[in-house]
Amino acid sequence: MPLWLREHRWHQTPTAVFLSLPLRGARATPANIFCSERYLKVSIPPFLFEAILYAPIDDTNSTAKIGNGSIFFTLYKKEPAMWDSLTLENADKEKLQCLRENAVLKAQQKAKEETEAKKATKEEHKKYALEATMKLEEAERKRIEDLKEKERQKVAEELELWKNQQKDADKYKSIQKDGELHQEIGQLKERKNEKMSKTRIPYEGTSKTRPKPTKGCRGSCSIFSPNAKEEQLPSPRSAATIKVNFTPRVFPTALRESRVAEEEEWLHKQAEARRTISADLSELEDLKEEEKNPDWLKDKGNKMFAMGNYLAAVNAYNLAVRLNNKLPLLYLNRAACHLKLRNLHKAIEDTSKALELLTPPVPDNKDARVKAYVRRGTAFCQLELYTEGLQDYEAALKIDPKNQNIEKDAEKIRHLIQGTMQGS
Amino acid sequence: MSAAPGLERPQVVSHAQQALNYTVFDCKWVPRSARLLCLGSAARGTGLVQLYELRGARLELLREIEKPKPIKCGTFGATSLQQRYLATGDFDGNLNIWNLEAPEIPVYSVKGHKEIINSIDGVGGLGIGEGAPEIVTGSRDGTVKVWDPRQKDTPVANMEPVQGESKRDCWTVAFGSNAYNQEERVVCAGYDNGDIKLFDLKTMSLRWETNIKNGVCSVEFDRKDINMNKLVATSLEGKFHVFDMRTQHPTKGFASVSEKAQKSTIWQVRHLPQNRDIFMTSGGSGSLHLWKYEYPAQRSKKDSEGAEMGVAGSVSLLQNVTLSTQPISSLDWSPDKKGLCVCGAFDQTVRVLIVTKLNKI
Repeated sequence: MPLWLREHRWHQTPTAVFLSLPLRGARATPANIFCSERYLKVSIPPFLFEAILYAPIDDTNSTAKIGNGSIFFTLYKKEPAMWDSLTLENADKEKLQCLRENAVLKAQQKAKEETEAKKATKEEHKKYALEATMKLEEAERKRIEDLKEKERQKVAEELELWKNQQKDADKYKSIQKDGELHQEIGQLKERKNEKMSKTRIPYEGTSKTRPKPTKGCRGSCSIFSPNAKEEQLPSPRSAATIKVNFTPRVFPTALRESRVAEEEEWLHKQAEARRTISADLSELEDLKEEEKNPDWLKDKGNKMFAMGNYLAAVNAYNLAVRLNNKLPLLYLNRAACHLKLRNLHKAIEDTSKALELLTPPVPDNKDARVKAYVRRGTAFCQLELYTEGLQDYEAALKIDPKNQNIEKDAEKIRHLIQGTMQGS
Repeated sequence: MSAAPGLERPQVVSHAQQALNYTVFDCKWVPRSARLLCLGSAARGTGLVQLYELRGARLELLREIEKPKPIKCGTFGATSLQQRYLATGDFDGNLNIWNLEAPEIPVYSVKGHKEIINSIDGVGGLGIGEGAPEIVTGSRDGTVKVWDPRQKDTPVANMEPVQGESKRDCWTVAFGSNAYNQEERVVCAGYDNGDIKLFDLKTMSLRWETNIKNGVCSVEFDRKDINMNKLVATSLEGKFHVFDMRTQHPTKGFASVSEKAQKSTIWQVRHLPQNRDIFMTSGGSGSLHLWKYEYPAQRSKKDSEGAEMGVAGSVSLLQNVTLSTQPISSLDWSPDKKGLCVCGAFDQTVRVLIVTKLNKI
């Protein structure tokens, strides 16, 4: 049950009612006050004060002041009249209830209207703000445009001025020129002939530089035409050629033409190959340090090959391959040894392995590939598999079309094939 | 670029523009006049030379000359101011010099190269510098040849690849250093593999070469009539290099500063005739950039062995503007009016622009 607050005091003037309501220690906030036209309620739990007003008041303008432990209401009457009392007497419960409900409804409606009104004003404000900014921006843009226009016009005027100046200058010059031309035609012709004869001399020299004759000629030219109006032009330079080289690059193609991706891949592979050492270390422990280096072994192998000791070379290469099976050159050289030893199948195997390792095909490994194809071709031919051999020779030719030996050998094989076909 | 408040930077104002019905490869101002020439290739495979005059805000066509072969480049550099003969290089490798008053028969003609002449430059004329008038042409056949209009049929200098060497297209040539006396002269050539070579015509030798990795589209000295000062070389992929040519180090060559301006190729560089530290680059994205070079506090210093080497300065962007969606392939400043320039783009338009506030730089 709420505690009713009854110790209120009020007094009135013809237009307003002043009501003071002491709060017994309770704190009031605007949310606790509910007021409509005929109904006033203050609810601060557990306290409650309500009053059905004697006559309608203007609740929008009425105020409530909260402070000093009491609320002070200033209620403006709708109709200026003196009230008999603050509240309606003899109000039966139903009426009271009705009034209360009406009051609440009305209040709600009012609240709704208020929010709508607020929204409307907000939108208007927004629109206004937008228009204002647009105007400002327009103004700015216009200002810049105007400045630009002014510049343009100024510049155009200057140009016109300058053009007119030019025109006048031209006219003046042409008048002058005509006058001079008549004078000079005779002189010019003479001098031209002289110059032509003088300039013939340097042509006959074929060496790169012959400064002396030209200088001398120039000197004599000036002697002959001291009062010339036209410039003293030196004779044409003695002809010469400068040979140029173009920048060699690792991959000699311009950046836009280069197949950089492929070339990168190749370099990468080479780098990798250098690094991998597939080793069975247990067996290799008793080898000397240098014998573990595939490059050293390759060199050793090459030397053996050069000396004709093919078996030793093969051994060296075998060891090198065991250490690093990714170097194409090892296989290539071992194939050469096998060829000499007439181990043709092994030769074919090795060259095939080498070719596998020599992808991607780039100008860098051109020579190696040519060698591989040629060796494999030779092996095939020695096995009398001439068609395969020819294929390989043609592949080699494709890479290096200018190699005469390959050409000749390919021709020979072709003849052989035709011969056997005819025979059989 | 957005306009700075007060518009204090130089502005590039588009003054006049002309739509053409052919591809324009080169545009040049006729010296001492408000007239300009457009050189190009018509759709039917013939060459066109059109002479326009700037009247108010329009270009008026004064003359049109048609030639059998498309014309790639032209220059007034080697003629006198009175004659104003135009030297052109065409797609067939022919070098011709025309008198525009009587263009039916060329004043000088030679089949200089086996392939298209990509670039041409002239020196010794127009009252600038001293020495014999000479024209240099660079061609796709890898050779650079210097011609004297008074000598028929054979070039006075020929820079060609060594026998057996694979040739690289020469894309651009420029004269320089036509200074003190009548003998000094250098030719700079840029190739499609990024080589830049500097030939000294006095000693008939290769004076310096370098490689900037990307094909060189355009080279230009800042002045043709002084001792070599600066050289700008532009290349594919939006880079250009400014070389300080005053000090040559025996091994390191010339000092340079490079700048990457745009994603696309920089087709042309042209120095302002009235101020040799300002130049404009034109790009493949249809944009023009105006640059200023600032010299370093000391232009040369000694290296560890005591040899002199150059110090490159810095380049700052003054303005940029995008005019077209197609590359601007040719650019020319007017030698008579500061800030007036013409540019031709592959969208078949030629535009006359005025760059303002160049006095205040």
